[in-house]
Amino acid sequence: MYGIFMECWVIFKLYGENGFLIPLFLVSLIYLLITEKDNRKRLVIAVAPLIVLVGFFIPYTRIAYVAVLSDGGDTYYRILWLLPMGVCISYAGCKLFINHKRIGLPVVSALIILCGSIVYKNQYMVKAENVYHIPQVVIDVCDVISPGENEPRVRAVFPSEMLHFVRQYDTNILMPYGRDIIHWDYYNAVHEVFEKPEEINAKDLLEATRQAQCRYIVMHEGRKIDVPLDKMGLELVDNVGGYNIYEDTEAVQQ
Amino acid sequence: MLVLSALSLILWLFIVPMGMGLLIQRILPQTKKTIGITCLCGFLISFAVFEVIGIWCMIKIPYGAFHKCSVAFASVQGILAIAGYAAKIMDIQRDYEKKDVNIFYLFFPGDKRAKPEAIISPRTDVRVMKFQYSRESLIYWAVFLVVLIFQLVMAVVIAPFDGDDSYYVVESLLAQQTDVMNTILPYTGSSTSLDIRHAMAVFPLWIAFIARMSGIHATIVSHTIMPFLIIPLVYLIYLEIGRILFGARQDMIPVYMLFISLFAMFGNTSIYTPETFFMMRTWQGKAMVANFVIPFIFWLFLWLFDDCRKPGFLWKEETKGGIRSIRNSAWILLFLLNMAAGIMSSMGIVFGAGLIGLLSLLLLIYTRDLKVIIKAALSVIPTGVYLLIYTSF
Repeated sequence: MYGIFMECWVIFKLYGENGFLIPLFLVSLIYLLITEKDNRKRLVIAVAPLIVLVGFFIPYTRIAYVAVLSDGGDTYYRILWLLPMGVCISYAGCKLFINHKRIGLPVVSALIILCGSIVYKNQYMVKAENVYHIPQVVIDVCDVISPGENEPRVRAVFPSEMLHFVRQYDTNILMPYGRDIIHWDYYNAVHEVFEKPEEINAKDLLEATRQAQCRYIVMHEGRKIDVPLDKMGLELVDNVGGYNIYEDTEAVQQ
Repeated sequence: MLVLSALSLILWLFIVPMGMGLLIQRILPQTKKTIGITCLCGFLISFAVFEVIGIWCMIKIPYGAFHKCSVAFASVQGILAIAGYAAKIMDIQRDYEKKDVNIFYLFFPGDKRAKPEAIISPRTDVRVMKFQYSRESLIYWAVFLVVLIFQLVMAVVIAPFDGDDSYYVVESLLAQQTDVMNTILPYTGSSTSLDIRHAMAVFPLWIAFIARMSGIHATIVSHTIMPFLIIPLVYLIYLEIGRILFGARQDMIPVYMLFISLFAMFGNTSIYTPETFFMMRTWQGKAMVANFVIPFIFWLFLWLFDDCRKPGFLWKEETKGGIRSIRNSAWILLFLLNMAAGIMSSMGIVFGAGLIGLLSLLLLIYTRDLKVIIKAALSVIPTGVYLLIYTSF
């Protein structure tokens, strides 16, 4: 039981690791529990979150959660979504400075800013290159291989950095493997020979892509390969943003 | 084309939801008949209706399911919206004849500002009246507005990366481009059987409906247009929470909203927080659970608690003499919210029901009214039906 409790504690710490908003929330919660005179408000925004918080740390909650939900082990932190942290902190801040708004406004704002972490500095936030919010190079590559109006759909192999975006732009482009193979490290024959080796074996790659009926292979020009694909009978259709697009005319489309 | 798309977005994201909201507005207490709450109710109905039509089409129609789903959903929404506007227009026709009547307040009487004589009347519950804001409060509102606009601009100029988009956004795009509902694997494009865990959460298909109606690529709708809808909607819920929390001290509401908006921006203390989901995965069902469904439940329970021990004469005045549907309007909204939670995420409906259970228990203890148990049980019926379908596959 102690081990499960410690797991909950680690999840709780990870939940607020880049800042001090959790301590700020706990202080606000205690403040509201003590000073809120209206029981109705206190029950909803202080007592209920306290019960959720206590419940989160009880090992039986975690055991039940993991038993009921298939990915329960990974998503246990979501119980903390039931804590109205923003409301508690904001309401406590307003209540504390209710008669001194001009002091309270900068003080509480500064506390939130200093204890928090701004979302726009997150490493996964990048400048948008277009309204699709996907890298422009992916769009340019897709525009080259995308089938015309009455043409059959095409299947293409893309390097891992492009995988997530291709079908967000055009679902007429199929892929032999997608994000699931990379994320959960499942086996896929094309992925094994295309992504895993430091230097691609062209013969193995073509065997796998033809088996998977891939018409195009998109590969960065700097990617190591023992024999260039154009010397293996593929046609270099274009080079877009440093990516070579090869067409394998031998590949049979479904 | 661009103009038509913009007009279509206005129609499906404002005019139609507002019409449906007006239908629900009829059962709201007088003070809750505001433009914000009407809008929130409209979207609740939209999500709830889509839950029924979307899941039915997905399970029953093998080919071209999304086209039929779109036609049915558009028709039902259209009928409900027209009914809402028609009923409202008939309601206000009589009042409009009178002189000095503001048409806006006839549509949204809850937004009416209190008159000085009302405020000093001993029969007035000042907690539920809207005051004129002072110049200082207006400045705070302006600062909040600047923060909100900043967030909306950032939602357009900054592109967050999230791996789950390769599932959810592609799901929307597949519906728009190939007319399927969850029968093609988004990652690769190969055919698949219905993955019920993801399939029941049809929010990506709701987005696909907006994309189809506006003729805009579903990825653009998800990444660029949805934040313009969802971010203000979420703030509307927090605003209503604030109205109840501050009661007569309405001058604190803009300050509170400013804190809330800062918290949303600076709440990125890990990749797990609702605020991170709100800003980086706004269009995903999970983000909607954390930032729309859960705060909505808190608001409805604050409202239910607030209605307890309200002086009888005021309560009657607010509910037109104690009409049952008006007295129970918060429970009805809770029922609709439970339906709406289902389209967001399968986890959402479980979390929502759990939180409703906890808050209902506290309400039961506070009021000692056993009817709370019945009302709470009725409000979570959609959860039961949802779980029944979920487990039967």
